[in-house]
Amino acid sequence: MRWLSRITSLFRNLSRKQENERELDQEVSSYLDLLTEEKIQGGMSPEAARRAARLELGGVEQVKEEVRDVRAGAWMETVLQDLRYGIRVLRNNPGFSALVVLTLALGIGANTAIFSVVYGVLLRPLPYSHGGQLVVLHQQAPHAHLADVPFSYKELVDYREQNHTLDAVVEYHSMAFLLLGDDSAERVQTAVVSANFFDVLGVTPLLGRSFLASDESPNADAVLVLSYEYWERHQGGDPNIVGKVFHMNNRPHTVIGVLPPVPQYPAENDVYMPTSQCPTRSSAGFMANRKSRMMTVFGRLKPGVSLQTAQADLSTIARQIESAYPEIYPKAYGYAMAAAPLREDLTRRARSTLLVLLGAAGFVLLIACANVANLMLARLLKRERELAVRSALGATKARLVRQLLTETVLLSLAGGALGLELASPTLALLVRFAERFTTRASEVRIDGVVLVFTLVVSVLSGLLFGFAPALASGEHVSYALKQGSGQSTSGMGRQQLRAALVVMQIAVSFVLLIGAGLMIRSFLRLVSVDPGFSPDRVLTMRLSPNFSRYTQPAQSVALGNNILRSVRAVGGVESAALASSFPFSPAAITGGPGSVGFEIEGRAVSKGELQPLVDTTVVGPGFFETIRQPLLRGRTFTDHDDANAVPVAVINQTMAHHRWALEDPVGKRITFDAGKSWITIAGVVGDAKEYGLDHPVSDEVYMPIDQSGMGFAGSLVVRSTGDPTSMTSLLRKALYDVDPQLAVDQVDTIERLQHESLASPRITTILLGVFAGLALVISASGIAGIMALTVSQRTRELGIRMALGQPKNSVVRMVVRQGLAVALAGTALGLIGAIVLGRLLSSLLYDTSPTDIFTFAAVSLLFVAVAGLACFVPARRVTLIDPFTALRQE
Amino acid sequence: MAQEQTPLLQGTLDLLILKSLALQEMHGLGIAGRVGQITRGTFQVKPGSLFPALHRMEEEGWLTSTWGESENNRRAKYYRLTKAGRRQLETETERWGRISLAIAQALETP
Repeated sequence: MRWLSRITSLFRNLSRKQENERELDQEVSSYLDLLTEEKIQGGMSPEAARRAARLELGGVEQVKEEVRDVRAGAWMETVLQDLRYGIRVLRNNPGFSALVVLTLALGIGANTAIFSVVYGVLLRPLPYSHGGQLVVLHQQAPHAHLADVPFSYKELVDYREQNHTLDAVVEYHSMAFLLLGDDSAERVQTAVVSANFFDVLGVTPLLGRSFLASDESPNADAVLVLSYEYWERHQGGDPNIVGKVFHMNNRPHTVIGVLPPVPQYPAENDVYMPTSQCPTRSSAGFMANRKSRMMTVFGRLKPGVSLQTAQADLSTIARQIESAYPEIYPKAYGYAMAAAPLREDLTRRARSTLLVLLGAAGFVLLIACANVANLMLARLLKRERELAVRSALGATKARLVRQLLTETVLLSLAGGALGLELASPTLALLVRFAERFTTRASEVRIDGVVLVFTLVVSVLSGLLFGFAPALASGEHVSYALKQGSGQSTSGMGRQQLRAALVVMQIAVSFVLLIGAGLMIRSFLRLVSVDPGFSPDRVLTMRLSPNFSRYTQPAQSVALGNNILRSVRAVGGVESAALASSFPFSPAAITGGPGSVGFEIEGRAVSKGELQPLVDTTVVGPGFFETIRQPLLRGRTFTDHDDANAVPVAVINQTMAHHRWALEDPVGKRITFDAGKSWITIAGVVGDAKEYGLDHPVSDEVYMPIDQSGMGFAGSLVVRSTGDPTSMTSLLRKALYDVDPQLAVDQVDTIERLQHESLASPRITTILLGVFAGLALVISASGIAGIMALTVSQRTRELGIRMALGQPKNSVVRMVVRQGLAVALAGTALGLIGAIVLGRLLSSLLYDTSPTDIFTFAAVSLLFVAVAGLACFVPARRVTLIDPFTALRQE
Repeated sequence: MAQEQTPLLQGTLDLLILKSLALQEMHGLGIAGRVGQITRGTFQVKPGSLFPALHRMEEEGWLTSTWGESENNRRAKYYRLTKAGRRQLETETERWGRISLAIAQALETP
C-alpha cells in the first residue's frame, strides 16, 4: 500500500502547501530550541549554546529545502515554479517575447500547413479497407516509350483468369454521357466499372447499395451510383434520391446508391455504371478486338502475397500473351506488365513538389530557431547577474539550465499555437494547389496527427534554440558576480557559438534562395515558351449532343454545320471551328498526347519491328485560322474535305522534320490501317504546344472531321473581335436554338487555360520564393544583430583605438570585415549545400540545370549585397563613439 | 566528542530510525540522540539527513506524527511507528541480518 500512501501525501502536499510549510518551519525551530536547551543544561552560556546549536543544524533554509526535495510531487513543484518564473520573465520583456513568438509562428505555421498536406496526401493510409493491398496494373511497351497503355477487354480477361496472386481484377474507364431532363441536358462524367469495383476498393455506399453481379448482365435494368460530390452539388443532397429515375443513352437509369466522401480513383466522376450499360464497352465489336484499348485495370492482392510475387506472376502472363499474339505484341515493343501500389499511383505527381516544399519549410524553421537562439544568447548577457545570484543562492547548474529551457519551450509553444492559427487559413489555398496533382487532396485537414506534429515540432524547436544558450549559461557565472557591474564581457566560446549560428543561418538561406532562384528561372523560361499559335481572344467550350438522336453520320455532319452557321452569325464572332481537342484544353493537359501506329508509303515496316507513332487530332475547316496556327506549306482543310473526297491530312512541323527531313511532305501518303486506305498529306502547319508549355511537341497528324469517322467533334473554338467572355450568353443562346438538348460546358478562354496550365509551377515558385525571402530577412537580421552586439561590447576597445589615432573609417572597415568573414563562410557552405541539394529539384525544373551558373551568380551577388548592408549599418554606429566617453565608461 | 564518523549506508538510516522508535514515540532531537546512543556514538545523524528521512518515511506510511509537549514543556513534533512501519522494521532487520552475515562470510574467506 506504499503507493497509496504516497498518492495521499501528494494530494496533501499540493493542497495544503502553506500549512505544510508552517509545520516544517515550527518543527525545525523546535528542534533548534530543544538542542539549545540541551546545551545550556550541559553548562554553556545561552549565547554560546544558541550559536553552537545553529552550527550543528547547518542552515535552517537548507534543511527545509532538503525536506521539500524528498516530498511527493517535489518535481511538479519545481516545474510549476519554473513556469511561473518563466512567464514572469517573458512578460517583463514583451518586445523580445513577441519577436520570438512571431518568428517561430511563421516557421511552425509553414511547417504545419505543408505537413498537413504531405500527411493527408502521401502518408495517411488510403480510406479504403486494406488500401495497402490495392495494386494498379500498367501495360507497358518500353521500347516505344509507352509506360501506361490502356487494356482491351481480351487483355483484361487474360489477366483476370490466368493470375494466381490477385483476389479480384476490376476494370474502369470514364466517359461523358448526357443526363436528360425534360428540356435540359446535363453532361455527367460517368465511370464505367466492374460490378465488384466498390467491393474491391472496400467502399460501402452512404445510401442504398452498390452494384451486384446481376447488374452487370447484358439484360439487367440500367442502374447508377452517384458520387458524394455530385449528389451534394447537383442533387442537393436529396436523402430520397435512391429509386429516382434519370434518362441516359435513351434508357431509364435508376439510382441505387450514393458513395461516401472518399477520394475517387483514378479520377473524379459524377456517376458510376456497370460495364454492361456503356454502349461502347458492351458492343460486340469492342469486346472481340484485342487492340480496342480503353480500360484501366486494378486488383487486390491475395492475403499474404507480396507485390514482388504478384509482379512476377503477372509478368509470366505478359510473356505468354506476347508469344501467343506476335502480330499484336511485336517483340520490338518489349511488351511488359508492371503492378504498382494504388497509393503510390494516386500521389505520384504530388510527391516531389510536396517533399521539396516540406524541406523548404523545415529549413525556414531551422533558420528561425538559429535566430531565436542568437537572440537568447544576446539576452543572456543581460541576465548573467540574475543567474549568478540564483546560483549563489543554491540553484544547481542543472536547475538553471532547466529554467532556461522552460522559458524557451514556453516561447515555442506560444509560437506553435500562433503558427497553428496561421496554418488554418493557408491550408485552404494549399488544398486547392494539391488538387491539381491528386484526388487525395480532399482528405487534407488539420487532425490529431497534425496537431501532434505541431506540438512535437514546437517542443523540439524550443529545446533546439534553448539548448545552446542554456549550455553557455553555466560558464562565467561566478565571474559575472564578482565583476559587480552590469557590463560583462562574453567569453570567446559564446562569441564563436553565435558566429557559428549565423554561418549556419546564412548557409541554409543560401540553399533556399538558390532553390527559389532556380524555380523562378525555370518558370520564366516556361512562360516565355512560344505556344505556336495566338491564344488571345479565343473562347472555347465543350458541346455534348444527345448522340442517340444523331446516329447517322449525315446527321452529325449536319449538326456540326448548323452549329457553325449559327455561331458565325453571332455579332462579334470573327471565326469559329469545331475540333476534337485544342491546345491547353483540360483533357489535353491531364491526358497528354496519344500515340497511334502508322506507316509511310514506301517505307514498309516489317513484322515485329516498331511502327512509327503519332498523336492524332480531328479538326474542322477554319480551325488553324481561328487559333492562328500558321500554315507553312500546302493548304489547310476546307468544306470540300468530306467523306466523299480524297482523304487528306495536315501534319505539324516537328513531324515533317522527323519523318521527311529533306523532302517536301506535301503529297506524300500515310496509312493507319496497314494500307487499306491511304491519306495524302495536304499541308504542314507550325508546332503548337497542345499539351502544355512544358510538354515537348510530339509528331502530330490533323485529320478533317468529316473524314475521320468521328461524326461530331465536340470542342468549339471561337475567335472574337472584342472581349471573348462577353459573348458567352449570346453563344449559349445560339447553341440552344440549334438544339436545346445540346449540353454546353467548360466555357473558357484559351488564354486563361494557358495561365491555368502553369498554376502548379507558379504556386510552387511563389511558395519557395516566399520561404527564401523569409529566410533572407531572418538571416539578415541575424547578421545585423550580431554586428550590433559586437560593436556595443567593443565600445571601449574601439574607443581606445580611435583615441590612439586609428581613423574612424579604418575602424568601421575592420568591424565590417569581421562581419563579412562570417557571411562569406556561410555563403561558401551554402554553395556546397546548394550543389548537393539542387539535384532534388531537377524534376521540377523546365529547361534549367540545377547548377545553373546564372542563378548561382545572381544569388551570390544578392547575398553579398544583403550581408554587406547588414554588416555596414550597425558598424556605422562605431563613428558615433566618442573616444573619451568610451574610455570613461566602466 | 571526537567520535569517528562513519558515513551511513543507503537504507541504514531508515532501519536505525525505525529501531529507535520501536519502543516509544519520540521527537526529532530525541531520535538523533537515540541513534547515537544505540550505535554507541558510531552514527551521528545530522538534521540535514534526519528531517528528509522522517518526512519521506511518513509519506511512505511507516511513521505518523503528532504535536506534543516535550519534557520541559516545549512544543515538539513526535513520531510513532505505524503497523506498516513495524512490518517494515521486521523486513529490514531480516534483510540486514542476511547482508551482514554475507559480508562477514565474504570477509572471512581467505
